[in-house]
Amino acid sequence: MLVSIKELSKYVDLSGLSPEEVAHGLTFAGIEVEEVSRLATGTNLTIGHILECEKHPDSDHLHVLKVDLGKYGTEQIVCGAPNARKGLKVIVARVGAKLKDGNISASTIRGVASNGMCCSLLELGVDSKYLTEAQTKGIEELASDAPIGEDDVLGYLGLDDAVLNLKILANRPDLLSLYNVAREVGAIFSRKVNIPTYKFKADFETDLKVGSQTNKCSQFSGLEVKSIKVGPSPKYMVEALRSMGVRSINNIVDIGNYVMLLTGQPLHMYDADKLPNKELIVKDNLGVDFLALDEKTYKVILGDVVITSNDKAMCLGGIMGSNVCAVDEKSTHIIVESASFDGASIRHTSSRLGLASESSQRFVKGTNHFQANEVLAFVAYLLKECCEGKEFSNIVSYQNEAKPNDKVITSTSYINGRLGTEFKDDEIVNTLARLGFKVTKGDKGKLTCLIPSWRLDVSCAADISEEVIRLLGFDNVKSVLPISNIRVGALKQDQYRLKAIRDHLLALGLDECLTYSLVSKKNAKKYNILKDEEKYELLNPLTDERQVLRTHIAYSLLESASYNVAHQNKSLALFETANMISKSSRSDHLCVALVGNRLQRGMMSSKAYDFYDMKGIVESVFTILGIENSRYKFEVCKDVKELHPGKSAYVIFQNQKIGAFGELHPLSYKDFEFGKLPVYLLELDLALLESAKVSISKMEAISRFPTVSRDLAFLIDKKVAASDIVKLIKVSAKGMVKDAQIFDVYEGENIDPEKKSIAISLTIGSDHTLTEKEINDVVDAVKFELNKKYSVTLRM
Amino acid sequence: MKNSKIQGILDKAKEAIESADSVETFNSIKSFFLSRKSELMSMMSTLGTLEPEERKEFGQELNQAKEEISKSIDEKIEELSKKELAEKLAKEQIDISLPSSNFTSGGKNPFHVIKDEIVDIFLGMGFDVADGPEVESDEYNFKLLNIPDDHPARDMQDTFYISDNVLLRTHTSPVQAHVMQQAEGKPIRIICPGKTYRRDDDDATHSHQFAQIEGLVIDKNINIGHLKATLELFVKQMFGEKREIRLRPSYFPFTEPSVEVDITCANCDGKGCSMCKGTGYIEILGGGMVHPNVLKMNGYDPEVYSGFAFGVGIERVAILRYGIDDIRRFYQNDVRFLHQYRKKA
Repeated sequence: MLVSIKELSKYVDLSGLSPEEVAHGLTFAGIEVEEVSRLATGTNLTIGHILECEKHPDSDHLHVLKVDLGKYGTEQIVCGAPNARKGLKVIVARVGAKLKDGNISASTIRGVASNGMCCSLLELGVDSKYLTEAQTKGIEELASDAPIGEDDVLGYLGLDDAVLNLKILANRPDLLSLYNVAREVGAIFSRKVNIPTYKFKADFETDLKVGSQTNKCSQFSGLEVKSIKVGPSPKYMVEALRSMGVRSINNIVDIGNYVMLLTGQPLHMYDADKLPNKELIVKDNLGVDFLALDEKTYKVILGDVVITSNDKAMCLGGIMGSNVCAVDEKSTHIIVESASFDGASIRHTSSRLGLASESSQRFVKGTNHFQANEVLAFVAYLLKECCEGKEFSNIVSYQNEAKPNDKVITSTSYINGRLGTEFKDDEIVNTLARLGFKVTKGDKGKLTCLIPSWRLDVSCAADISEEVIRLLGFDNVKSVLPISNIRVGALKQDQYRLKAIRDHLLALGLDECLTYSLVSKKNAKKYNILKDEEKYELLNPLTDERQVLRTHIAYSLLESASYNVAHQNKSLALFETANMISKSSRSDHLCVALVGNRLQRGMMSSKAYDFYDMKGIVESVFTILGIENSRYKFEVCKDVKELHPGKSAYVIFQNQKIGAFGELHPLSYKDFEFGKLPVYLLELDLALLESAKVSISKMEAISRFPTVSRDLAFLIDKKVAASDIVKLIKVSAKGMVKDAQIFDVYEGENIDPEKKSIAISLTIGSDHTLTEKEINDVVDAVKFELNKKYSVTLRM
Repeated sequence: MKNSKIQGILDKAKEAIESADSVETFNSIKSFFLSRKSELMSMMSTLGTLEPEERKEFGQELNQAKEEISKSIDEKIEELSKKELAEKLAKEQIDISLPSSNFTSGGKNPFHVIKDEIVDIFLGMGFDVADGPEVESDEYNFKLLNIPDDHPARDMQDTFYISDNVLLRTHTSPVQAHVMQQAEGKPIRIICPGKTYRRDDDDATHSHQFAQIEGLVIDKNINIGHLKATLELFVKQMFGEKREIRLRPSYFPFTEPSVEVDITCANCDGKGCSMCKGTGYIEILGGGMVHPNVLKMNGYDPEVYSGFAFGVGIERVAILRYGIDDIRRFYQNDVRFLHQYRKKA
């Protein structure tokens, strides 16, 4: 909402207040002023009279002028404007002037001295939307009676004004009215407010009928006016409109806009002689093509608010009138509408048709449904004054809404209790009175508040407390920490474990990422390496790229990895945790991507990432959560199409597949820009890990007796999993094998192609110092069990 | 030495020791002069044949000579091995400027840095952390927060819809409603960090996905002073002891009164600069007293209980603190960006 200080000062006393002070006051009363701007600027301006105008001797478009500046004498000015001519009254920026685009100094232009500049309004900072084409191309041509030597040029032009740009929040649509802004400013600065009222007397009884067949119109009033004359508007109205961002069209259109800006009530004018009959009925059940004022045809559908005459659409309610009954220069007989329409409905129609206007915006935000008579009286006054309107009908109205409750009962103690303040009764009463509330004091600080008619947002005691504090200021609020029983704020188990996992991966050196939840339909189908679930899809996506709520992080994280590789970051260890929602479940996921080399010592010592790096990460997550390796296992995974069938695994925990990881399938490389870099991917559903029971580990006694180690090497069937061999060895000698570590695996030359050679180091210990015989017995037992189960060939 | 023969051996030995320069030579000198078969030692075996007087003196001189030779050889050997070690060590000088082994932690997206830090601050103030779903019903996202059907905030323009009444939450405030309903009328003190979505085209300052941290306190006799003090503590912890806050009246449907909270600009200490557009203040969060309608709809008697709520944008705080130039950086995960956020301070 643009508010002209000059216009505002007609309705509230602003003496001694700068525009900036008014803006500050409004902002701290909850009405943010986004900008304070000047309509026009410029110093050292004077009205001049061109005495002589000669062609510049050395230019085909410049002129050399002699300009009479009254008390400043006569100056020579070189001017490039095509309309410069002898006898013209012009705006002169004298030497030393500061203009929007620079300063004026004495100069020599192609050998001719020039002391000053003749200006266009554009050069004074006036927005080109208010100017004619001629005004933007040449210097401003002042009236022939303009006073030569006058310094207050901006005042003479009505451009000495500042404009506040108010950000109107959803609860204060009443401030889309200059009158109500004046009331607000009056309340803030305790200044006198003067809102004019107009007496209205009907000259004749109209046969106009108004009504509504939909509850989307709660009020509709009409005024019939005969013998008006369409023409230009008076200067004060043109200037008022311009200062509030509206361009003058003609007196009828301007009156509509002027009244709306002042009262907040949008109006519509019909040419009464062009209406099919003398009825205006609001309907919302039409489906027709509508030829609007802008000469375009719009599709009106069921539900759109339409004002009809003899069942023909005459106006798209609150948005735009029909071409059929438009008021034009020849119109003499009009009907003025002042109505209230349902905001949501107007919003839907205007956004569907892409038609938004000052009027539709006001309906969307909310208008005062009970001021039609005052508004139409104001319109009648202006029509009489500016359009020679002579015969005015009575006002006919339709109203299907009772006035809402206009009283709120509260108390000083409630208000202070809510605000944390210590205001006295009278302070509160006086503050509310400044805002137009009529407050009656009762027993024990009881306050009965009568809400002013223009305030649509106040309906309960909490609202009253806000009115008090926004005027008296939050500096009155004492800072006190909330007192309650001392308690420890703590993360819940699942939150704690998720944090522990993230901290652990960061400490390992992995980088933590953040990616978008919405992905394209196509990509949502890929990399569901754990399970495929039914996904939520948007009804109204902005782009195809962000249409489906992902259920896996994998694709997004690979995209981030690919982005990095494309930017020459080729050694990557990335992870992300995020909450995944599908139509059937919701849980936290962990995704890890390893790309390229693991840099041990920069590039001096690096190693390509492999399957076992990822496996190690998974195991470390279990370890830091305190879940022993006996509680989970890995299973070969051959059925995930994005993973290498020979180098991937499922993570099985509590008999469920909770994770999948492995090398990217060669065919998946085409989705990204990884070149030949190795890529490993993990997606782990954390739900069961976050809820798993973990007991506090009691200290296990550490044996006082030394352990001994013995190595064993043997040939075994290739297909036997190393973990099975270790498991067997550990149980083969009554718990005396404390540990069995594989230290070499060999397949290839000199070995049966069906076999592999495995070397294992055994750690043997007991509750006493072992004898050589006992040690040998353990080794023999291990060999025996290995042989029994796998018929191995011992090599050592 | 009285015995010229012993003296002769001693002189010869000293001469040999002087000219020797390796451990091996010293060892052979030692064996030449002091071994069982050496001249000196064979003289030792003649001791028995001498008169007691003579034997005593001769024996002492022999022992003395033996010790003298042995000691000077040992000294020389030690000296030499020290020198050799020093030479060896000198040759082993490495280039300490070569790259080290990597033991640093990973880079944390500054989004997470800020989120974790805010959570820690409020945990310290006795708040719990609540979670809620990103897919919400119309009822929780709007209705239970006092946002009526025809409110502009419900516009299709701003909200991603999944069906007529299911949507991606546009703020973390629906968690307020969930928590209130679960708490069944008991006092509440929670924060809720979470992702939110709005139908905005992505550019340097807008993102269709962003995150908020919601705070909610409900108890008897809660007032704005409590909100102010809580946020003061938070702001000083988050942005430094010197930061002050300022409350400005504003409007949110679910709070009444509502406030915008500004903090003194960290860049200019409130003097006014380009970062704060000359105002000395930067808008950082919004909040207010929970609207009585919201309390009522979610099971609290507004005559007995009152509460405050606030919400802060995680990316906004990160952008302010780190001077991040584009909100899309958070979602790009360029490791050159992430690695800038390793430090814990």
